[in-house]
Amino acid sequence: MRASALAGLPRGLTILVTAAAVLSPLSLIFYQSFLTAPFFDARKTVGVGAYEFIFADPDFWQASTNSVSIAAAMVVIAVPLGALLAFVMERTDLPGKRWIEPLLLVPSFVSPMVLAFGYVVAAGPVGFYTVWATELFGSAPWGIYSLVAIGAIAGLTHVPNVYVYASAALKSLGSDVEEAARVAGASPFRVALTVSLPLIQPALLFSAVLVFFLGFELFGLPLVLGDPEGHLVLSTYLYKLTNKLGVPSYHLMAAVAICIVAVTFPLVLLQRWLLQNSRKYATIKGKAGRMRELPLGRWKWVAAALIGLWLFVGVVVPLSGIALRAFVSNWGYGANLAEVLTLEHFVSVWDEPMLMRAIRNTILIGTVGGAIAVACYTAIGFATHRRNDGWSRFVDYLVLVPRAVPGLLAGLAFLWVFLFFPPLTPLRTTIFSMWLAYTVVWLAYGMRLISSSLLQVSTELEEAARSVGASRGQVSRQITLPLIRPGLMASWLLVFMIFEREYSTGVYLLAPGTEVIGAQLVSLWQGGAIDVVAALSLINVVLVGAGLAVALRFGVRLRD
Amino acid sequence: MAELTVDDLHLAYGDNPILKGVSMTLDRGEVVSLLGPSGSGKTTLLRAVAGLEQPHRGTIRIGDKPVFDGAARTDIPAEGRNLGLVFQSYALWPHKTVFENIAYGLKLRRIGGAEVGERVRHVLEQLSLAPLAERYPHQLSGGQQQRVALGRALVYNPPVILLDEPLSNLDAKLREEARAWLRELIVRMQLSALCVTHDQSEALAMSDRILLLNNGRIEQQGTPEEMYGNPLTLFTADFMGSNNRLAGRVAEIRDGAARLDGEGFALWGLARPSARIGADGTAMIRLERIRLADGPGDNRVEASLTTSMYLGDKWEHLFALGPARLRAYGDRPLAAGAHWLHLPRESLWVF
Repeated sequence: MRASALAGLPRGLTILVTAAAVLSPLSLIFYQSFLTAPFFDARKTVGVGAYEFIFADPDFWQASTNSVSIAAAMVVIAVPLGALLAFVMERTDLPGKRWIEPLLLVPSFVSPMVLAFGYVVAAGPVGFYTVWATELFGSAPWGIYSLVAIGAIAGLTHVPNVYVYASAALKSLGSDVEEAARVAGASPFRVALTVSLPLIQPALLFSAVLVFFLGFELFGLPLVLGDPEGHLVLSTYLYKLTNKLGVPSYHLMAAVAICIVAVTFPLVLLQRWLLQNSRKYATIKGKAGRMRELPLGRWKWVAAALIGLWLFVGVVVPLSGIALRAFVSNWGYGANLAEVLTLEHFVSVWDEPMLMRAIRNTILIGTVGGAIAVACYTAIGFATHRRNDGWSRFVDYLVLVPRAVPGLLAGLAFLWVFLFFPPLTPLRTTIFSMWLAYTVVWLAYGMRLISSSLLQVSTELEEAARSVGASRGQVSRQITLPLIRPGLMASWLLVFMIFEREYSTGVYLLAPGTEVIGAQLVSLWQGGAIDVVAALSLINVVLVGAGLAVALRFGVRLRD
Repeated sequence: MAELTVDDLHLAYGDNPILKGVSMTLDRGEVVSLLGPSGSGKTTLLRAVAGLEQPHRGTIRIGDKPVFDGAARTDIPAEGRNLGLVFQSYALWPHKTVFENIAYGLKLRRIGGAEVGERVRHVLEQLSLAPLAERYPHQLSGGQQQRVALGRALVYNPPVILLDEPLSNLDAKLREEARAWLRELIVRMQLSALCVTHDQSEALAMSDRILLLNNGRIEQQGTPEEMYGNPLTLFTADFMGSNNRLAGRVAEIRDGAARLDGEGFALWGLARPSARIGADGTAMIRLERIRLADGPGDNRVEASLTTSMYLGDKWEHLFALGPARLRAYGDRPLAAGAHWLHLPRESLWVF
């Protein structure tokens, strides 16, 4: 038996490093927001000038209003559609469910930046579908640059977030309560409206808050789609502050960031509280038996058509747009698809060392970086596993903090951390800086993957090891770790896809040496290099798709 | 010599007290069962002994070594207590073979490879598991898994083995065989065992001594014969067997005997400590102690037959005596109508 003082050391160290990685960027933002100039400026003084400035700026208020309206529109669109989709998928005899299921989750794995760009080239004023529709019918009855369109697109692309939680809740809901309603004479849709959906209300409430929260975090969609008509949301307002003033206005950016976090952090706490509550309800459930599927009858085709329409709008339109745009030299009215086909965009990617570095870095950060990130998450998971002390609760809340800081802000904060602490500065232009930011930004997501693996290990297996004489450390290494290995492999795959998809975190950390596709897309888009953006977007989709294919092949659960 | 001593143990989950001062001993070579309804604290007591629950008062000693002492703030962690624990679910590690499951405890004790192999094989043979050494737990039947779990707990010769509902995961028929096998093994290997069970017949069959727990306290302890044949409280009497109860008023107590008067009867029985003259009382008698009689007499009542049930080896008759119901065994069917029942005074307890 080892000395207990030494046994606690790895745990203490893990908690300390996590706390430093999570809290230092946030405190730096907080500190910066109360300065009157960038923190490296000698003339800085402490004050609330930054807040006074942004609160006096009508654009800030316009952006806030837009953020709230878009988030609200997303809730109104995504929650009912997601709930209904979950019911149709879980409970009815919809044809082709097995094929539809993985497709439903695609929008949540494609980078929003890529999606937004896809909408521009597919359905923008001179997009493929717009041009085709105009040629066929004389006009195309849609526009994608209005605030309403942004809200609608954001809402439709967030249906999967609701679907995941609603269908999980429906799965755990015993079918006997529904069968009882059927026996009492209720039709399938009456059952859905009066029994199933009310019973999964906690899950729906949770996903409503989640979607509203994600609406506040939105960056890629409003950046690309809001630009032409000048619609700003809080995140794009922050991003454009530098352009607006022409000088590094770190204190203003920090003040906006604190305003965003002031909204998102309570939302994260609310989500946590709701999730715990919904688990409380989940214990009062009927017998989860295999249920006979509800026959949809004639409605079968209506439901299939609606899901097909949604998949078309949410997946096919943007992805086909990108795929086409990557292979054409130019596009517009009167262009003939066969004549403009080309591979030159990929050649220019190949010829540009910066872009090749971006591709290499992106693969590296997903594979190697993903593995190291999973190792870190696992270490943190073990630091709190089966311990119910103050430190565990501290870590519980600690991992929530990055969840409340949108990637854009987190990237900015890490940039400052690397500038602020001289020993770290040399690492700023290495891929390490990008990896650290990614790992911290996705901390809560990763921890959820790890802890769900850890929770599947029955307590008794660990207690049995302790009773035959294994110390805590030995139990972790020799019993728990081997048992969660499949879960860790699945987590690695999911983290790979998330890291390939990530774009906003890298925006401010982008430098020669740290290029990644996601952030590079934002920067190239700003520069108007649409051909390269198309090619790079397609490469990004292929990378995520490769991960998705492996995941499906090995039956990895794509939902957390 | 006591291998295990628990003294005045208190344990609570938050504000909810689970153990309210439990004391017990386990002597070498003895099998003691912790018996009680669910929620009585029996599993918690076992887990506290194992070091998996945290008491807040009292002491636990293994041999003469304190492993928990609330006053002295001693609390040796589970892995330092050197006990063997068999889980209700068996908790076999799914990623280790039978051999590896059993060998793990020896490896943790830094025993050399050759000796590990020898000792594991010895245990496997004793448990008739030798051909299954290379199998994984999911390839074993329930009974085999149970034996592996037992082997895992025995292999490093712990002074005490703790068994948490060891038979409850087996189906009914297998359970009776396993019960006999387990008892025989424990006696043969001269183990000291503390065993949790909620099944009174299992406790009676397996143990040298039974501790009956009720709501975090020990209600009564003794040999199986004492517990079954001489219950001191209504709870013990009720828990230990199948009973008939009659409610009435204690009319008289004389020379250790008490008379209970009720609707349609006046019966003499052994007075229990709680019986008070003039107070409401309960008479209790095991089902198998009631005899059918051919006419009136001492301690007999007349009751009308309600229904009869055929049990295979005997009949069970149900009688009505005023508002009360009496059940009795018989070896033949009975005609409908009134019958005389004899409730021998030495088998009837008045509480």
